Amino acid sequence: MSGQRTLWGVIVIAISMTSCDNTNTPGTVNKSKGTIGYSAMSFKNPFFVVIKNNLEASANDAGYELIANDADSDVSKQANHIDEFISKGVSAIVLNPTDRLAIGEAIKKANAAGVPVFTCDLQCIAEDVDIAGHIGTDNYQGGTLAGQAMVEALGEQGGEVLVLDFKQANSCVLRVDGFMEVINQHNEGRREGKIAVIAMVNGGGDEDIGYKATSDNLVAHPNIAGVFAINDPSALGAWKAIDEAGKNEQITIVGFDGAKAGKQAILEGKIFADPIQFPAKMGNDIMEKILAYQHGEEFDPVELIPTSLYKREDARKDPEIQN
Amino acid sequence: MKRLLQSKLITDYGMVLVLVLLGALVTWATWGEQHPDDPGAGKHLANGIVELPGDDTHVAVVVRQTKSDTEYAEAIATQLKDKGVTVAAIIQARTPRDARVELVKLGEQQVRVNAIATHHFCFSTWGVLQQSALDGLAANYPSLKGVKPFKPASRMGSTFLSKKNLVSILNQNAPIAIMAIGMTFVIITAGIDLSVGSLMALSALITAVSLRDWFGGPQASSLGLYSAFASAMLVCTLCGVFVGLMVTSFQVPPFVVTLALMMMARGCSFILAGGADSVDIQASGAELLYSGTIFGVPNQIVLMLVLFVLAHVVMSHTALGRYVYAVGGNAQAARLSGVPVFRVIIVVYAICGAAAGLAGVLDASHFTSGRPKAGEFYELQVIAAVVVGGASLMGGEGKIFGTFIGAMILAVIQNGLNMQGVDSYRANVVYGALILVAVLLDQLRNRSSRWA
Repeated sequence: MSGQRTLWGVIVIAISMTSCDNTNTPGTVNKSKGTIGYSAMSFKNPFFVVIKNNLEASANDAGYELIANDADSDVSKQANHIDEFISKGVSAIVLNPTDRLAIGEAIKKANAAGVPVFTCDLQCIAEDVDIAGHIGTDNYQGGTLAGQAMVEALGEQGGEVLVLDFKQANSCVLRVDGFMEVINQHNEGRREGKIAVIAMVNGGGDEDIGYKATSDNLVAHPNIAGVFAINDPSALGAWKAIDEAGKNEQITIVGFDGAKAGKQAILEGKIFADPIQFPAKMGNDIMEKILAYQHGEEFDPVELIPTSLYKREDARKDPEIQN
Repeated sequence: MKRLLQSKLITDYGMVLVLVLLGALVTWATWGEQHPDDPGAGKHLANGIVELPGDDTHVAVVVRQTKSDTEYAEAIATQLKDKGVTVAAIIQARTPRDARVELVKLGEQQVRVNAIATHHFCFSTWGVLQQSALDGLAANYPSLKGVKPFKPASRMGSTFLSKKNLVSILNQNAPIAIMAIGMTFVIITAGIDLSVGSLMALSALITAVSLRDWFGGPQASSLGLYSAFASAMLVCTLCGVFVGLMVTSFQVPPFVVTLALMMMARGCSFILAGGADSVDIQASGAELLYSGTIFGVPNQIVLMLVLFVLAHVVMSHTALGRYVYAVGGNAQAARLSGVPVFRVIIVVYAICGAAAGLAGVLDASHFTSGRPKAGEFYELQVIAAVVVGGASLMGGEGKIFGTFIGAMILAVIQNGLNMQGVDSYRANVVYGALILVAVLLDQLRNRSSRWA
């Protein structure tokens, strides 16, 4: 009796495996030039899904297949992905480093196996690693754009500003640095109409944490005139807190990213402006770099894409946003 | 047939069969062209080039700057020279661009080359080795006239079954498998330990921080290194003892104690990290525990196998092993028959803590840093490995060998799904279904043995 049931169980498992496997029907190996392995930061963030889709499209155009794995922000998962890419014999590896330092050892393994590694978004800072090419956002420049937007919104009156930061991520630190540079320039030599940053608190890069941090600070500083959040989710959290406090008219929010939800919020007037990143361009350009590398052409080994400021009038013209 | 299915082999080792079937499935799914680039393939390629028509073949070997490529290139060059074919140059290029520069140099120096020996990777991805690019070079440099690239013939095979991949599966999953050993002890006593993932992070952080502050920083001696490893494991073992004491002396359910410890250990890890993503280990040699090998086998794998054998011996041939089963089977009866129940429970949680500590030390060595986020949700994977391996959460039942198979089943599924590029959401669905099936199997087997 029991043996037969064991066998049934085995069959059930086998079926569940194959049914999940068949996105890439095995056996039908089409004649491609090779495979590109992509280990993404996290597909929970649509930013990386956009990178993946564009990377996949341009890889296919160049005759390559793409294997995309989700590291789920875990550096040990990402290190495993790199091992598997090496075993599989991919032509090139693309990473969004989940940890700028700790991923170094895994990249060295790929170097030793002779597989070129390209990074995208975050830059690896480990020593003695060989990165064939990098593409990312110029976060400092983005921060200055956010600062300019804030100066424009507050005008000559100035006012109190709350910053929702996320110190764990270097990219977000750079955004705040760029923002502060513009604010300090604005304040220089000024007696009236200064913009005073009254608090820099952790917004977690997350809607929920951004909401709580803003709520608490609205109580402590009732006269806040502006909020700068280092990404769209925390900016939306700030909006929720401000809306509940009924201070929409008083407070201007500047976000960062230009994800779809952020753009939508700009259209609806919830967020004043976003310096936007270009994940689609990142996905396409990283494939261009891979091809340039393979063909031995000159290319910029580190490319930082400048952001551009996105406001309500841009949102009205944007076909991506539904009115 | 029916008798075969009912045999002890199938009922006892059904999970081995599942592992074999999964292995076969992944083998099939990853079946495709393999491109050999070992010295043997190099020798074979050289023989092919020797047989080319004409007797003025001048070969340039073009490969990458890696250790295995050096061996490959040497094998080709040696074989060619033995057979009297001229080896014009061996080019080991860091990038495709360097390869082009070196080939142009050969052209400028008017070195005669009409065959290029390489392997599939360079042949398929390096622009300069495409026939059209080579024709372009030949047009500019007469000494490269008629140059053609050659690579070893491909054969069919499975990426999954390659030695490199099998070693990497074992290596990747060694920390989880090691923790699963400790968890098997705990689960057989009808307990549970939710704290292992967090203890792993705590151990990694203690290793990193104590090395930085106490054991010599960047100049740490190997004694300093081992002291850091040992103190991390000691703290985790003491955490296990603490859990054991709470479970026995204060009768707090293990689920609650270890849930609390899980949160505390994770919190302490973040405190030790001081808000950073990771605490860097600068002591040289810290990575050796992870990257070193014994007879060519990575340390982690050797350690894991030794611990499994040790645990198997403890469970099947010592008094402690019998006590563990007795406590899990019926604690009251065990106490009445003279088993030191409290001590046994404290010991199993201490073992589980020590195993988590070891996993943390290995993680710190792997990433040469202590990461407060290390081992998140590992407790669930570890418990899954033990349960899939046939241990019963009701206690009294389970085998160390089964746990090994359970850990490998999960590892093979993960590897197969990653190789196919299946996203982690689907992988989670398979994990969940598999755990359920394994427990169902266990239930059915128990029921049928009761009826028999």
